Amino acid sequence: MLKFVVRRVLWTIPIILLVIFMTFWMMRAIKGSPFRRTERAVPAAVMANLDRKFGLDKPWYVQYGKYVKDVATFDLGPSLVLRNQNVNDIVKQHFPVSAELGGFAMLLAIVVGVPLGILSALRANRVTDYIAMLFANLGFAIPSFLVATLLIYEFAAQLRWFPTNGWDTASSKVLPVIALSLGPLTYFARIVRGQMLETLQQDYVRTAKAKGLRWKRVVVVHVLRNSLIPAVTAAGPLLGFLVTGSFIIENIFSIPGIGRYYVTSVSGRDYSTVMGITVLLSILIIVANMIVDILYGFLDPRTRDART
Amino acid sequence: MRKPRFAWPLGLVAVLFIALVAAGCGGGGSSGSGNNNATTTGGNANASGGTIRIAIGSEPPSLDPGLATDTTSAFVVLNTNVPIVYLGPAPDLKPEPALAQSWDTSGNTVTLHLRKDVKWTNGQPVTADDVVYSWLRTISPQLGADYAYQFYGIKGAQEYNSCKPSAANKQCDALKSKVGITAPDKYTVKVDLTSPQPWFLQQLSHTSFIPVNKSAVEKWGNKWTEPGHYVTDGPFKLTQWQHDASLTLVKNPDYYDASTVKLQTVKLNIITDGSTAEQAFNAGNVDVNETGWPPSDTARIKNTPAYQQFPSLGIYYYGFNVKTITDVNQRKAMALAIDRKTIVDHITQTGQVPATAFTPKGIPGAATINSESTFLKPTADMTLAKQYMSKVSNPVKNVTLIFNNAPGHKEIATAIQAQWKQLGLNVTLKQQDWPQFLKFLGPPPDPSVGAFRMGWIADFPDDINFLSIFQCGSGNNYTNWCNKQYDDLLKKATAEQDQAKRYDLYKQAEAMLTSKSGDMPIAPIYWYTFAYQVAQNVHGWNTNPMDEIDLRKVSIG
Amino acid sequence: MVLNPQNEELRELTVAREREDTTFEAGAAIAQTSLWRDAARRFAHNRAALIALFAFVLMVLYVVIVPFVMPYDPNAVDFSISYVNPTWAHPFGTDEFGRDLFLRTALGGRISIGIGFAGTVAIMVVGILYGAIAGFVGGWLDNAMMRFLDALYGLPYLPFAIITLAIFGTVNFWTMVVALTVASWFTTARVMRGQIISLKENDYVRAARAVGARWYRVLFRHLLPNTLGVVIVFVFLELPGVVLGEAFLSFLGLGINPPNASWGSLAQDGYTQYLSHPYIIVIPSVAIAWLILSAFFIADGLRDALDPRTQAAA
Repeated sequence: MLKFVVRRVLWTIPIILLVIFMTFWMMRAIKGSPFRRTERAVPAAVMANLDRKFGLDKPWYVQYGKYVKDVATFDLGPSLVLRNQNVNDIVKQHFPVSAELGGFAMLLAIVVGVPLGILSALRANRVTDYIAMLFANLGFAIPSFLVATLLIYEFAAQLRWFPTNGWDTASSKVLPVIALSLGPLTYFARIVRGQMLETLQQDYVRTAKAKGLRWKRVVVVHVLRNSLIPAVTAAGPLLGFLVTGSFIIENIFSIPGIGRYYVTSVSGRDYSTVMGITVLLSILIIVANMIVDILYGFLDPRTRDART
Repeated sequence: MRKPRFAWPLGLVAVLFIALVAAGCGGGGSSGSGNNNATTTGGNANASGGTIRIAIGSEPPSLDPGLATDTTSAFVVLNTNVPIVYLGPAPDLKPEPALAQSWDTSGNTVTLHLRKDVKWTNGQPVTADDVVYSWLRTISPQLGADYAYQFYGIKGAQEYNSCKPSAANKQCDALKSKVGITAPDKYTVKVDLTSPQPWFLQQLSHTSFIPVNKSAVEKWGNKWTEPGHYVTDGPFKLTQWQHDASLTLVKNPDYYDASTVKLQTVKLNIITDGSTAEQAFNAGNVDVNETGWPPSDTARIKNTPAYQQFPSLGIYYYGFNVKTITDVNQRKAMALAIDRKTIVDHITQTGQVPATAFTPKGIPGAATINSESTFLKPTADMTLAKQYMSKVSNPVKNVTLIFNNAPGHKEIATAIQAQWKQLGLNVTLKQQDWPQFLKFLGPPPDPSVGAFRMGWIADFPDDINFLSIFQCGSGNNYTNWCNKQYDDLLKKATAEQDQAKRYDLYKQAEAMLTSKSGDMPIAPIYWYTFAYQVAQNVHGWNTNPMDEIDLRKVSIG
Repeated sequence: MVLNPQNEELRELTVAREREDTTFEAGAAIAQTSLWRDAARRFAHNRAALIALFAFVLMVLYVVIVPFVMPYDPNAVDFSISYVNPTWAHPFGTDEFGRDLFLRTALGGRISIGIGFAGTVAIMVVGILYGAIAGFVGGWLDNAMMRFLDALYGLPYLPFAIITLAIFGTVNFWTMVVALTVASWFTTARVMRGQIISLKENDYVRAARAVGARWYRVLFRHLLPNTLGVVIVFVFLELPGVVLGEAFLSFLGLGINPPNASWGSLAQDGYTQYLSHPYIIVIPSVAIAWLILSAFFIADGLRDALDPRTQAAA
């Protein structure tokens, strides 16, 4: 077991170096400079000053080496575009907002999506199933920008139940959370339905049924237990998406989350911010995967070898 | 079996669901305290006691006067600091006393006499040394300020800014000491210019000339613009800055002219999306919508009393790459074929003025300067355009038009593509993100580029700020057009103190661009306006033609 | 893709098929025929799937036929007929340039659906290659490749797609396909590796090899027929994500160059006008939802049809 854990931890180091390198290379491969933000020309001397200030005049391997060293000391460097902020500040201020938004959206998705999935699996291929799945699939099918737009229009501008924008009061969080939760809602409903259908076919369920156990009890004791957990644990990586994938929602609702920074930093060529957020997310995801795998390893020794 | 694994996820879900419901209920409760009295014109009964809420379009990238380059940053900087001079009312936009209460000019020297009663928010007086320190800081190669070139008219500034601070650091120090900025006494600043530059005093109204507080800058480094660290001397001070969400400014009682400031609190809400900002205004969540709105809503907004519009010193134009579209007749045909009025009426809609010349209508002397440029009309002259087109021996039939992917450009490009199609041109539109777009523009522009979208808003109200764009070697000249005669005219203007003569030189230069005999390296499209949604209880909302909003004059209630 | 519920589902499907395959071990060819015939019969009994198939075909017909029969130029600008509300002449109305939206939505559909299918295929090819290398070679390489996927898995796709588009410097049909592939191949690769490993270890494959069958015979006789069902289901499961990905990128102003438009860029145009002319954003959004819903239900129907055990539950 210890060997397994140590091996997984050691593996993360080259992988993170590779992720940094890839992001580094991709950002440098784009044309354009982070230092031209308005239509005003910036004289060559000023551009040279900026390159020097942020170390962009050095060869790429020196920049890469310095960056890796900084990351190792938890310093993600200064933002090239927001000149009075460091990437650490940006992450500290905006990551929690996105995490909160994503977390609530995930919860809402589970709370609504899982029962929908259960319902349609128990009534598979009947009208209830079709209606439940139609509803669940709509969450993914209707683009979130339309949902967000309609929500603002109806509930913020017309009915005025909620503010149109922002992320401060509890009421300002309702609409964006709903808008963001619809996609993952589809995910949970579909996964749970699929898992349930499969579990219902298992021999032990049939046996239990044949033994004359009450159907309700069979469902609760056997089917739910063995269907929900894999479905919910499989959602781990979704969180990564939710935390930063909410760019469009954050933009429409003017929410100060990290997703917006991620995307605007790409179009602003803010190398250090893009790399900082990517590295941070990769580390989070790797660690999350590792914990899940280690837990699996403890719970089910058979997986230890297969998953190394 | 795996019993323990069953209970916890459901338990977790239950707990979180309860939390969520609680949050939702809390939300429902607090939303009730909202803005039910507001009307769709945006008036809000709850905005009390001189608090104004303004939707702004972006997070200010930097509140450091030396580093700020965009209008949002400039808005905050200008209302929390005192510029060297304010600009008077349009159309003259004459410099008016601010930090400098008076000035003398003689030849290449400008002497500024500073007010003695201006205090930093930390209690220190604002002195000539602060000005000298701040200007040299902005020019210094170490700061890497974009706007360092605003100072290039000052003797020695360009040389100092261009030096490489490394081992040869001493050389930089020597250059620093040669910059023509000195403080003969505590409240006097003497500036030596490279040439007379009659517009220099107006240029001093620009945010990049605003002094910074040395002790704050040195204490906090690049964090000195955070609330609590940000030492300023203007009508308002920054008390709160939640990045990417909002800023709060409150009245500074120690501002030298505090009695004229009416607002107590200014809350700037960052709403980047135009539709959302419009909705926020309509719902009464903000008193002023500075972010803007989607152009197609203009027709409706214009009919509300909230609509306010201000003239601008700015131009939206299409440039040609003269090395791709080499024939002047083709460029003239293309410029003539643009139906400016249709674009203004159907696409932009906020009262923009169809531009028939490059020099904006509102610039001092524009009537004289543009008097010879009567070739282009607000509407398209397709007959004349086709005549010119027929004179082209080797027309470039396939033209690539590039523009950046900010809102609004695509629509104009679509319209112009259709108009140029009538000349038999096959126009390919290329939409690019900003840095990429600039990379394609150069200068020199990418050979694939035939035409491009560009705009310019004045830094200071003198036509040199516009015309110098098309000098040979100018960093803003993306057209490849280079004309010695044009450069000579502008060079003469730089030294010309007499206003009438200067305007005449500008007139000749303008004629070389857009008149019948001109080279037509660009096709002007429209002169900008600034438009806002302003609630009925907000008074004195104003914008000068450089997009500077002065909150001293604004009141609410 | 965007969320990738599909890939998780596919993993289950793989497992299910794997078990089922063992029952068709002998005389693979005959068994395959009846398997497909059974599947078709079961699919025909699934009302939701049939309706979805009908809706999908209808959409494809609309997209293919309408541009040939509409008498308008999709890019002609005529401000005198801008914002015409839906009428018989203009069933979806016109936009601010007076362009017919019934026609432009059909043309946009060609681009969106085209990018959707091309992207799905590209993602599959890359995913299969990566998964196949990892799965076949195994050992430390497999380990390294999987750990690398772990790091990418769950990263938001949008920034990577934007970076890729920016590297190309221009947005057209193919750069869009590449960008969407770069941004979303990794989850697929993960699933494909699992698929390859399970296929490699399958009894009938082992048996075929044991009796000395050549690799191509194993591939074409056993591996491909057994994967085909999965692949078809996969196409319909992945398609919605790719179509939405394209829509999101276009919505951010990173779509293909105007005056051409995909559903995403039509929606972007509509977004800036929804307060005054709401139908302009609703039409392309409904088209997107229509396509995605029908793809999902077709995929569900296909999966149920190919997996006889789930059908028994009904």
